[in-house]
Amino acid sequence: MIELLPQAAGLIFTLEGLLVLVLGTMLGIILGALPGIGSTVAVAMILPFTLGMSQAPAILLLLAVYAGSVYGGSISAILINTPGTPQSAATCLDGYPMAQRGEAGLALGWSTIASTIGGLTSAVVLLLAAPQLAALALNFGPIETFALILLGLTCIVSVSEGSLIKGLVAGSIGLFLGCVGGDPITGEARFTFGQFQLISGFNLLAVVIGVFALSEVLIRAAAKEEGTQSLVSFSGIVLPPLSAWRGRIKGLMKSVAIGNGIGILPGTGAATAAFISYAEAQRSSPNRAKFGKGEPDGLIASESANNAVTGGALVPTMALGIPGDAITAVMLATLTLHGVTPGIRLMTDNPVLIAAIFSGFFVINLMLLPMGMLVAKGAAPLLRLREGYMLVLIVLLCAVGVYFVRGNPFDLLVMGGAGILGFVLRRQGMPMPPLVIGMVLGPTLEISLRQGLIITDGSFAAFFTGHPIALVLAILAVGMLALPLITALRARRSGTA
Amino acid sequence: MSILTERRVTSLVLLLVGMALLSQTFGQAYSGLGAFSPMFFPQIVLSFWVAVAALDLVAELRQRVVGTRPQLLRVTVIALASLVFLLAMTRIGFFLAAVPFSAVALVTLGLRRPVPVAAVSLGVPAALVALFNHLLTLPLPTSPVAWWF
Repeated sequence: MIELLPQAAGLIFTLEGLLVLVLGTMLGIILGALPGIGSTVAVAMILPFTLGMSQAPAILLLLAVYAGSVYGGSISAILINTPGTPQSAATCLDGYPMAQRGEAGLALGWSTIASTIGGLTSAVVLLLAAPQLAALALNFGPIETFALILLGLTCIVSVSEGSLIKGLVAGSIGLFLGCVGGDPITGEARFTFGQFQLISGFNLLAVVIGVFALSEVLIRAAAKEEGTQSLVSFSGIVLPPLSAWRGRIKGLMKSVAIGNGIGILPGTGAATAAFISYAEAQRSSPNRAKFGKGEPDGLIASESANNAVTGGALVPTMALGIPGDAITAVMLATLTLHGVTPGIRLMTDNPVLIAAIFSGFFVINLMLLPMGMLVAKGAAPLLRLREGYMLVLIVLLCAVGVYFVRGNPFDLLVMGGAGILGFVLRRQGMPMPPLVIGMVLGPTLEISLRQGLIITDGSFAAFFTGHPIALVLAILAVGMLALPLITALRARRSGTA
Repeated sequence: MSILTERRVTSLVLLLVGMALLSQTFGQAYSGLGAFSPMFFPQIVLSFWVAVAALDLVAELRQRVVGTRPQLLRVTVIALASLVFLLAMTRIGFFLAAVPFSAVALVTLGLRRPVPVAAVSLGVPAALVALFNHLLTLPLPTSPVAWWF
């Protein structure tokens, strides 16, 4: 692949190619920052414009919008606690607390650098090891996926600081919300209570936006103060100094590896990667006690992982012709529309085109930093508005975003209901991240558990006897659960000693 | 202190909802048994919900935490206005639903100067309609009166 780079550069560094990369990345960031538009809608919106283009610029435009939108989701997650895309939900956990204490610019700086490194590394992985990784992904069955998701779920413990029981209640509500709708194996309706709109389940983004953003509006409305101050103070991205990275590089690399690894697994996605990476960072970070209160390690974990997924997701799409999610399915359709058949022979039949796509992806990720700074600078005056104006703007943007997901009026009601539920639960002292984690990971957990049990004839023990990867992941999950208990016991012992 | 605090009532309601949902999973005819049953996973989840909600209720009964009193009128008006706006948006169009919502919400949130309130109530929905309907060509619901808003 490396030897083809000069020829690939000839395809990228044309006027059309460069325009596509710059405009696509910027448009992706803007669309990603608008709550609800999301990567899939952004990529689908751009698809018709690619039909008149030649192969390489067309695919690069889609990739630029894809990578830009994944990063853009973090802007609204940090500044207004409203994840632009579901994959940015984990970014709210530490990004918004940082913004609340007046470090919005720095939080965006951490997220921008982490996103850029996550994306760049995944581009390098794509260039060097796409076929080998695609073959490896085929060994990852439902049992391994179950153990992986179990590991991700353990981060409920870490984000429930203050009250583990309340976090577990919120997590179980999230898991239940993920069960509503058609059964993934038999198709039978569950908990729909005769409402046909519920057959397809609760829309994830409507619930996420409701419990994070709308409940925040209600919490602020319920507070005694009048809404005449600014919501957050922000004047532009502040890049963290090099010295601040000391002790964080290892965590960043681990998160990038998790993002790449999960990206190549079909059907898991960037939201799952962000939460699993967050859980692992929380387990291993020296700053674990500050997670959920505005800790940059948490922000780095979620943002580097969700951007690393973008490259990883292209591995099965390009090398095997298997789209991992809706976005890569749209990419697959675009490749087909342009006369390229993805699959095992793609690498041998179109080596220069593939080298151009993979190296163009590297350039796109390099541009996230300057483009992100430009877009955030443009958004800064908006955030200096008085809180009351911002709260109204948040409700309007949330409604627009949720409407665009499916154009379904029912989703708007779900968002309203989730907002009120979030308000009531937050007044109860219940953290909202476990609810979202449960809802994001629940459906994959259910299907992998049930498929695994069907494969092993109902033997749960067989999950770990013949599956070493699953065993390692399960041990890690048990370790994650045991860690707070051991820490509490140690603290109690040292207190009584 | 009254035994019926906001937190205790919420904990009790969560437990009762969990129990009611769990009871729904039994006694219904579904295809398949074990992992094939559509209720296999929900039963695990809801049993867990009931168990942790019961623990939460016990914890709430043992401790005497009295939450801060919210600005009930303000939060009720904002919640109701939001729900009406969300319901009306697909029926009368985004612009016509958003203008009264914005005005009511701004006044309720303590912003009383008529010119800025009117400007934001009209300007923000109009800007969003212009951006999405006309620039990005991602149409928001329009009113039955005119296609352009």
